[in-house]
Amino acid sequence: MSSEPLLRVENLKTQFFTDAGTVRAVDGISFEVHEGEIVGLVGESGAGKSVASMSLLRLVEHPGEIVGGEITYRGETIFGLEEGPDGELREREDMLSNEAVRDRIRGNEIAVIFQDPMESLNPVFTVGGQLREFIELNRDLSGKEARAEAIRMLREVGIPDPEERYEEYPHQFSGGMRQRVLIAMALACEPSLIIADEPTTALDVTVEGQIIDLVDDLQEKYGTSFIWVTHDMGVVAEICDRVNVMYLGEVIEQAPVDELFHDTKHPYTQALLNSMPRPDRTVGELEPIEGVMPEAISPPSGCRFHPRCPDAREVCQRVHPEPKEVARADGYPHNAACVKHDAFDVGYDESPPLEAEPRLTAGTPGGEDGE
Amino acid sequence: MGLLRYTLYRLLQAIPVLIGITIITFLLANLAPGDPVRLMLQGQEVDEELIETIEQRYGLDQPLHERYITYMSGLVQGDFGHSIHRNQPVSDLMLSRLGPTLLLVLSAYAFAIATAIPLGIFAATRRNDPADHISRIVALIGVSTPSFWIGIMLILLFAVQLGWLPSSGLVYPWWGPEAYDWIDTWPELLYQTARHLLLPMVALGTLQMATLMRVERTQMIESLQGEYVKLARAYGVPERTILRKHAFQVAQLPIITIIGLNLSTALGGAVLIEYVFNINGMGRLFIEAIQSLDYQLIMGITIVIGTMFVIGVIITDISYAYIDPRVTYGEEE
Ligand SMILES: Nc1ncnc2c1ncn2[C@@H]1O[C@H](COP(=O)(O)OP(=O)(O)OP(=O)(O)O)[C@@H](O)[C@H]1O
Ligand code: SF4
Ligand SMILES: [Mg+2]
Repeated sequence: MSSEPLLRVENLKTQFFTDAGTVRAVDGISFEVHEGEIVGLVGESGAGKSVASMSLLRLVEHPGEIVGGEITYRGETIFGLEEGPDGELREREDMLSNEAVRDRIRGNEIAVIFQDPMESLNPVFTVGGQLREFIELNRDLSGKEARAEAIRMLREVGIPDPEERYEEYPHQFSGGMRQRVLIAMALACEPSLIIADEPTTALDVTVEGQIIDLVDDLQEKYGTSFIWVTHDMGVVAEICDRVNVMYLGEVIEQAPVDELFHDTKHPYTQALLNSMPRPDRTVGELEPIEGVMPEAISPPSGCRFHPRCPDAREVCQRVHPEPKEVARADGYPHNAACVKHDAFDVGYDESPPLEAEPRLTAGTPGGEDGE
Repeated sequence: MGLLRYTLYRLLQAIPVLIGITIITFLLANLAPGDPVRLMLQGQEVDEELIETIEQRYGLDQPLHERYITYMSGLVQGDFGHSIHRNQPVSDLMLSRLGPTLLLVLSAYAFAIATAIPLGIFAATRRNDPADHISRIVALIGVSTPSFWIGIMLILLFAVQLGWLPSSGLVYPWWGPEAYDWIDTWPELLYQTARHLLLPMVALGTLQMATLMRVERTQMIESLQGEYVKLARAYGVPERTILRKHAFQVAQLPIITIIGLNLSTALGGAVLIEYVFNINGMGRLFIEAIQSLDYQLIMGITIVIGTMFVIGVIITDISYAYIDPRVTYGEEE
C-alpha cells in the first residue's frame, strides 16, 4: 500500500538476559500494520509472539530488553537506536520518553487484550470501576461521563444489564463475559491499534466463535486496526487480512491471508496448515508437526527450522535465510525465509538432502501411523 | 446472605466456642491435683470441720457438673467467682488489669502494622537489592529473638545506659492527670504515657513486625506479577498508582488473616513483657495467680484471654468479608 503504515516494526530484537544465557526471544522481526487492518501473528508456543507484542508497548519484563531495531507509530519513534560518536549504540534523540509512551501511547493509541480473562481483571475492584479508571486515564472524560461511557461499552460488547453488571466484581462473570469486558476496555480507550494476545485461547469453542464475531463486527464499526496473536490457523483464516508466521523469534513468512493459504511458500507454514483441523479432513489425516521447537536460548544453525523441515538440505544447516520477497499479491509483498526459493540462490538444488535428521523425530506421539 | 447477617452469624458461631473454652478451663482447673482449700492453708494444721465449712461456703462439696453450672450462671452475669486467696471478686481483680494489657497489645500491633507494611512494600520493590537482604536479616532476627529478651536489651540500652526512657510501669491516660501528682496537664500525661509505652511496645511488636513484613513482601511480589498489574501497565497506569492501589489492595488480604491469627502469640508475649516491664496487666496477674495457685483467678483470666482471641479472629473474618468481594458468606441461591 502506498500510504504510510500505522505501525512499522523493523528488525526488532528483544532478548532476555538469564543466568542460563541470552534468550533471543524476538530476533529481528519486521512487519507493518496499516489503518483498519487485522494483522495476524501466528506461531507455536514460545515463538516470541507475546514478547514481540509487549515490545511494541515497551513493556518487556525484566530481565528482558529491546536490544535493537525500530518501532515507529504514526511517525513517532516508540523505539529507535543510533550509533553515537563513540561507536556505542544509544537511544535516538526522537525516541519517546518513558512518560510519553505511558501517557500517550499505552491505552490511548495502542491497547491490549490478554489471553487469560480470569487473571487479567483485578479481583478486588468492580468491573465498572476498572473500566472507568482506564477511560479516565486515556480519554478526556471523567466522573459521570466516564461511567456512562463504560456502561455504553459494556452494552456494546453484548453484556446484558450493563448498569447492574457495572457494579459487580470479576468473579461474578463467566470467562466469556470477562473477555468481553477486556474487549470493552480496549475499545473504550478509543485506540487506533489493539493487540489481542491469544484472546480466545482460554475459552471454549462456542464462546470463541462468539468473541471472534463480536470483534469482527466492532472492528468494522470502529475501524480499529488489530494485531491478532494466535497459534490457530483457523482463526487466522477467519479474521486476518495479512499474516506473519513466527518461528523461534523470527518472522519466516509474511503474506496476505488468501495468498498465504493458497500459495504457501515456507515449509513451516505448510506444516502448520497441515496440522490444522479442517472439515474436509478426518482426524487421522492431520499431520502434526514433527519434533518440538528448540529453545530460543540456543537456536539451530542456518535455517532455524532445518531440524524439523521435510525439505531440509545440507545448505540449510549453513545458510541463515533472511526473509525475502518471493512473490507479490494485492500490492503486498509475499516474503519467505527459505533458501529453496530462487531469490536466495545459495545452491539449494545442488545440495544433498538432509534425510536422516528430521526422521529421527518421527516417533513423536500422534505420528501418522495412527489409525 | 448480606454482610450484616454474616456478621451476626459469625458472632453467634462464637458462642459454642466460648462455651468450649469455659468447659476446658473449668475441667483443667478442677481436676488438677491438690485440694484448693488445703493448698490455700499451705499445710497449716486446721480441723476438718473448718475445711468442710469453707468447702460448703464455696460450693466445693457439690458434684463437678453442678459446680460448673453454678460457675456458668455466675459468668453470664459477669461474676467470675471469688478469689479465696485474695478475698476479692475475680472480676474486680481483672477489670483494673484489662486496660494496661489492651493498651500494650493494641499499641504493639499498631507499631507492627505501621512499620511492617511500608517496609514490606519497600523490600518487594527492591527485590534482591542490598536493602532487601538487610530487611530479610532484620526480619530473621525479629522472628527468632524472644520478645522478653528484646525487652531486657531495650531496658539495658535505653533505660540503664542512656537513661532516655523509663524501664518500668505505665501511665494510664484514662486515669486523667489528677491521678498523678507529678503530672499537671493532659498533653503532659499523654507524653508520659507514650514514653512509658515505647519500650514494651517495641519489645512486644517486633515479632509481629518481622512476620508481617515478610508476608507483606511476599504478597506484594506476587501481586505485582499478576496479570491485572500487566494490564494496568499496558493501559498507562503510573507505577505509583499500581503499587498503591492495584497491587496493594490484593496483597493486603492475607495480611489481615495473619494479624488475626497472631493475636494468640501477641497475648502470650504480653504476659512476659508485662513481667519484664513491671506493668500491672492481665499477664502479670496471671503469673501471680499461678504462683499462688489461685484457681478462680486462673480460670477467670484464661477465659478472658481466650475470649479476646476469639473476638480477634471474628473481627478478622468479618473485615476480610468486607474487603474481599470474592468471599461468599454462607450458601447463596
Ligand atoms: N521473563 C522471561 N525470562 C526469560 N525468558 C523469557 C521470558 N519471557 C519470555 N521468555 C522467552 O521468550 C520466548 C518467547 O516467549 P513468548 O511468551 O513470546 O512466546 P509466545 O509465542 O507468546 O508463546 P505462547 O503461545 O505460549 O504465548 C520463549 O522462549 C520464552 O522462554
Ligand atoms: S531453508 Fe531449508 S530447512 Fe529452512 S525451511 Fe527452507 S528448506 Fe526447510
Ligand atoms: Mg504468548
